[in-house]
Parts: sequence; structure tokens; C-alpha cells
Amino acid sequence: MDSEDDMHDAYDADSLDEDFYSGGTPMGSDDGDADYDFVDNESEDSEDITSHRQQQNYTILNISDIRQHQDEDISRVSTVLSISRVAACVLLRHYKWSVSKVHDEWFADEENVRKAVGLLEKPLEMPHTRELTCGICFESYPRVEMSAAACGHPFCGACWRGYIGTSVTDGPGCLMLRCPDPSCGAAVGEDMINMLTSNDDKEKYSRYLLRSYVEDNRKTKWCPAPGCEFAVEFVMGSGSYDVTCNCSYSFCWNCTEEAHRPVDCATVAKWILKNCAESENMNWILANSKPCPKCKRPIEKNQGCMHITCTPPCKFEFCWLCLGAWSEHGERTGGFYACNRYEAAKQEGAYDESERRREMAKNSLERYTHYYERWATNQSSRQKALADLHSMQVEKLEKLSDRQSQPESQLKFIIESWLQIVECRRVLKWTYAYGYYLPEHEHAKRQFFEYLQGEAEAGLERLHQCAEKELQVYLEAEAPMKDFNDFRTKLAGLTSVTRNYFENLVRALETGLKDVGPSSNQATCSKSSSSKNLVGGKGSKMGKVKVTGTSSRVAGRTTDDGNLWSCEHCTYANPRSLNVCQMCEKHR
Amino acid sequence: MSGGIARGRLAEERKAWRKNHPHGFVAKPETLADGTVNIMVWHCTIPGKQGTEWDGGHYPLTLHFSEDYPSKPPKCRFPQGFFHPNVYPSGTVCLSILNEDSGWRPAITVKQILVGIQDLLDQPNPSDPAQTDGYHLFIQDPVEYKQRVRQQAKQYPQLI
Repeated sequence: MDSEDDMHDAYDADSLDEDFYSGGTPMGSDDGDADYDFVDNESEDSEDITSHRQQQNYTILNISDIRQHQDEDISRVSTVLSISRVAACVLLRHYKWSVSKVHDEWFADEENVRKAVGLLEKPLEMPHTRELTCGICFESYPRVEMSAAACGHPFCGACWRGYIGTSVTDGPGCLMLRCPDPSCGAAVGEDMINMLTSNDDKEKYSRYLLRSYVEDNRKTKWCPAPGCEFAVEFVMGSGSYDVTCNCSYSFCWNCTEEAHRPVDCATVAKWILKNCAESENMNWILANSKPCPKCKRPIEKNQGCMHITCTPPCKFEFCWLCLGAWSEHGERTGGFYACNRYEAAKQEGAYDESERRREMAKNSLERYTHYYERWATNQSSRQKALADLHSMQVEKLEKLSDRQSQPESQLKFIIESWLQIVECRRVLKWTYAYGYYLPEHEHAKRQFFEYLQGEAEAGLERLHQCAEKELQVYLEAEAPMKDFNDFRTKLAGLTSVTRNYFENLVRALETGLKDVGPSSNQATCSKSSSSKNLVGGKGSKMGKVKVTGTSSRVAGRTTDDGNLWSCEHCTYANPRSLNVCQMCEKHR
Repeated sequence: MSGGIARGRLAEERKAWRKNHPHGFVAKPETLADGTVNIMVWHCTIPGKQGTEWDGGHYPLTLHFSEDYPSKPPKCRFPQGFFHPNVYPSGTVCLSILNEDSGWRPAITVKQILVGIQDLLDQPNPSDPAQTDGYHLFIQDPVEYKQRVRQQAKQYPQLI
């Protein structure tokens, strides 16, 4: 999982200078990963960690925000360089809307910048004759009917309209429009567009200008959700790339795939490619077919004898086992259902290579299917949970408030638990992609990973069960039920326990399970042995903690507070007065 | 949009050409079988520059204008299989000023196009090859390349 670090670095190097000028926000740390290390050493208070992690390093912008930011940047450049707003706009677009880059380049070599962008220092006027010839249609018109950019090359109104119209129709390239004269590089800015063209084209041009501010700018991106019109401004070099848009879609700012913490972008790209690409087909073909020895087309043998005839136009007849020509086969080589040549050759080991490859492909396909199924199941569970969350928000919450005579503000814990479920399903889903790419030979890591994943999954199932099934009773009740408050405590508790589990999981995976030494075999944190000692506190637990690092917080938390005991099954912290766990209802 | 001006502009170009054009060049609109003139297709001839391997050849070139002209450039074609690194196998010329996405400007005239293509003949652009044959010889075997160019020049004598 090194690639994520590389990505951080690549971005940081570039973003430093941008932030220097534009920077409302100071640089937090040089490296995103530093954040996580910091968190790792922090106190045991998980609430603290949560709030720290969710601190926003991005801003959601709507259309008018974008326009405002753009205007501000243009004004800034226009004031500092004492040039017109139109010229500032052309300049900014050329330098991908980086105010600092514009300043740097301009003050380093103004003449060259002017040339590259097409801004003339001294505007020229059109020739002072009564009539002028348009450079496009070659017709003569009175001077007043002609227009020119800062270079003074005159063209008539109709030709300007045509020229601008064609360029606007062709796309965002119109933002870099130059004078129609072949040897002239003078820029044609928004003022000319607004003066010379139809309302339709003006509107399109202004939309391209707005889009350019988001799309060409390194600091902003559109939310990739369909139909969403928000853009996200991201502060580089600050922790996680996960971003949640106001439209409630979560995505990774770096790769714009859906949010995929704790898995890094490279793994996600690989996984998505694998899911959609032909590669799996290829594996299947490899595992289940053999190429025709003559035309090399893959052939699947689904029944019948060993005598294969390839489909026309090839029509080659061959033996499925040894892939030799059938003309050399017959009764004496074993007949239609066996092949002596093959048996003999196999004993000599001649067929091992390709057979083994096929065998491996078959295994890898099965392995992939295992992870893919679980990935996809969590994906659909998440969709379902999202729908449930929605129905909870729009109808059920009101009903519940009615039945249980509770103000809706007191029922927020239910929404929170559903939000947690949705988030957990997302994380869990991606852990399967992570698991698929975790090297087979790193046994300790695999075992630790599977342990964390298993614990997290079990916790999530309990929470999901409680929020879905157990709530039903209270929804259907005729009158307020006495034990509703117990339910509240239980669900809220489960939510927070599950959140802890997943944070451990995320943190462990993000650090590449580095707490597990490569050769350490004692990292086998089996469920039974690790949890038994929790109640007892520090003592024996610590032996394991050395290798499993992340779970030390759980142990610490329970022992620091003398009034609580931690359940061995779900680690929920219960008050001392109780002997039955409030969460999983198991005895102490 | 600017479609309306294509024919008017071409008429103006034709007028300007008849008044004055570079020596050795030919450019005239196509005459159809029934005697009518199709101003949207021009048959041209480009002479090879003196003192170059191209000298002596009079290369036929056809310009196809669209109704979007002069917003969009005309398509310029030599005969199919024309030997030059920047000419596609179909004969279409690959030149920056003829590309609507890069160098084309509506104020470029037919005269400028023809002179531009004449320049391209003996100054090919190796960073933008359009055929393998011409490109490889130009890069790898200059002697053979020049031989092929001289041979082609003989294939296109002046038609009087």
C-alpha cells in the first residue's frame, strides 16, 4: 500500500506554491499520513478521535459560490497587475486559475506572458478610412460597422458572429479564442463575445467559463454524482481524501470514485478494472477452454468424446487431450474417449506447464468470486440501508414519535444509527477489495485482517439487526412502551461500539497493518483468547497488544474507568451495577 | 451560422486570384459536365520549388470547401498514394493551418493555403507523419527518399 504515500507526495509538491498565495487555510502537515500517526498515539477517548477525523478539509460550493470565487480571483489579479478584468480572466484561464502562478509568471517575464496569452501592451486601432474590407468575407463596410480585437484587424459583424459561433459550438476551446487573422495572436475576451454574438452563444460561453473555473482548477472538482451541481474545493495535503457532497454522495477527491477509505486509490482502480474488464473473462477462458491447435480460437468442451472438430471455416479435427491431429488417432491410440499419447506424455511431465496454468487460473477465479460476492453483497446492503434511512427520515420517524410520544428531536439516535450502518457497509465493502489484494503469504497480516474484519462485521450485523428488526416492535405498538428508553440506550450503545470497531479496522488497514510484524505468528488474535482477558484489564492482554497495537485503546478505555466493565463478547462498556451486558445480553 | 458566406467569400477569392496569383500556380473552380461551375470544389496545381528535389513537378491538388467555410478549413487532397511524409494514404494533406482544432483561422486565403502546401513539400514535418512509406525513408534513407521525390516529380509534368 505504498502507492497512496506516493500520491500524497506528488500532490504536495505541486500544491505548496498554490497555497502560498491563495491560502486562507494554513498547511496542516506535510504529509497526510502524519495525521494518522498522530491519532494513533492519542488518548483513548474515541470521541476525540472521531471529531478530529471528521474535521472538514474541503468546502462544498454551489453555482453562486463558484461564480463568487471566480470573481474574487479575477478582481485580485486585475488589481495587482493593473490590467482589465477581461485580461485578468484570460490570464487566469491560461494558468489554470492559479492566482499565484499568474503572479509568478507575470512578474518573472511580463513580455513573454503577454505574448503567450495574446494580451497586447498597446492596443491598436482599426485603420482610419471611411470603408474597410472584412478579412473574412472580403466585403467592404463602413468603419463603424466593423470590430476588431486589441490588434486592430477589422472584421464585419456577420463574420465575427460566425467565427465566435463556430468556436463556441466546438466546445470550451472558445475560451482561448484569438483574432481570426492567421498571423495574429491577440486574445478575444469575454467583452468581445458579449458585444458581438447572439444571446445563445453568450450564455454558452459564460457556462464554459464557469465550468473552466472548476474543471481546470487544481483545487476544485465537480461532485461526480449524476445531476449534482455542487463543486468541491479541497485543501491539499490534509488527511483523508474522502469528501461528502451536499447531495449526500461521498466520493474520493483524489480519484473521484466513490469514497473508499480505508483502501487506497490504486487498489480501487485495480479492483474496478478487474470487475468490469475482460480480465475475468480471460481467466475463465483460460481455465475452461483450450485453444484450437490450428486457428487458436478458444474451445469449451462441455460434453462428448475427445474427438473435437473446430467450427467452420477452420474445421480442424483434433484430440482434446493431446491436441494432436485426429488423423493420427484411432482405435490403436485408445479410441474416442482416451488418448495413449496423452497418458504417456503426461507421465513424462510434458503437459505439466499448461495444465498447471489452467489449474491456477481456475483457483484464482474462485478466489476472486469469493471476494467479489461479498463486495457486491455489502454494496447492495448499503443501497438497502440508504433506502431504509430515507424512509426513516420521511415517514417512520414521525410515526414512531407519535406511537411512543417522544419528540422527534429525541429520536435522532435512530437516524445516527442508520447513518452509521450506511457508512459501515461502505467500509466493509471495500475491505473485501483490500482482502483480495492482501498477499497470500503474509499469514500474520491476513489473520489479523480477517480477525478485525470479522469482528467489525459481527458488530455491524448486531447493529443492523437492532435498528431494523427490534425497532419494529415500537413502531407497531399501540401505546408508548416502557422499555423504549432501554432500546434507546441499546441502539445508541451499539452504534458507538460499531463505530469504534470500524475505526480500528480503518486505521489498521490505512497503516497497512503495520502493527503486525512480517514473521510474527502470535498475531493470531482469535476471538476467544483476545476478549477473555479484557475484563481483567491490562495484565495479560498486553502480551497481545504488542502485536495488535490498535486494540490497546479498547483495553485502556475500559480499565481507566473503574465504574465500567467491558463485555467479553462485544466489548461494550457496561455500568458495574449490571451483570448482563446491555448490548448483547450475555452474562458477565 | 456563417454558412451563408461560403459562396460569396469563394467568389471574392476567385476574383482576387484572377487579378493576381503566384507564378506557376493554378486554382480554379470545378466545371461540371453540363458546363456549370461548382465553386465549392477547386482544382489546383502546385509547382515544386526551384532548386529543390520537387522542382519540375506540377502537383495536382483538389480543395473541397464546406458550407461552413471559412469557419472550417477546406479539405485538401493530392492524388491517392502521393509520396510525402505528411500526406495520408488517401492523399489528404496533414498541415497545422488546415486543422480546424489548431491552426485554422477564417482569414486564411486559398493563396496562403497553396503557398503553405508548397513550403510543406520540401520541408516535411517529421513530428507529424501521415504515411509510413514516406516517413520512414525520410528518416532512415535520405538518398532513397530524394530519389523517390525526383521520380514523382517526373510523373507530374506541366500540362499545357
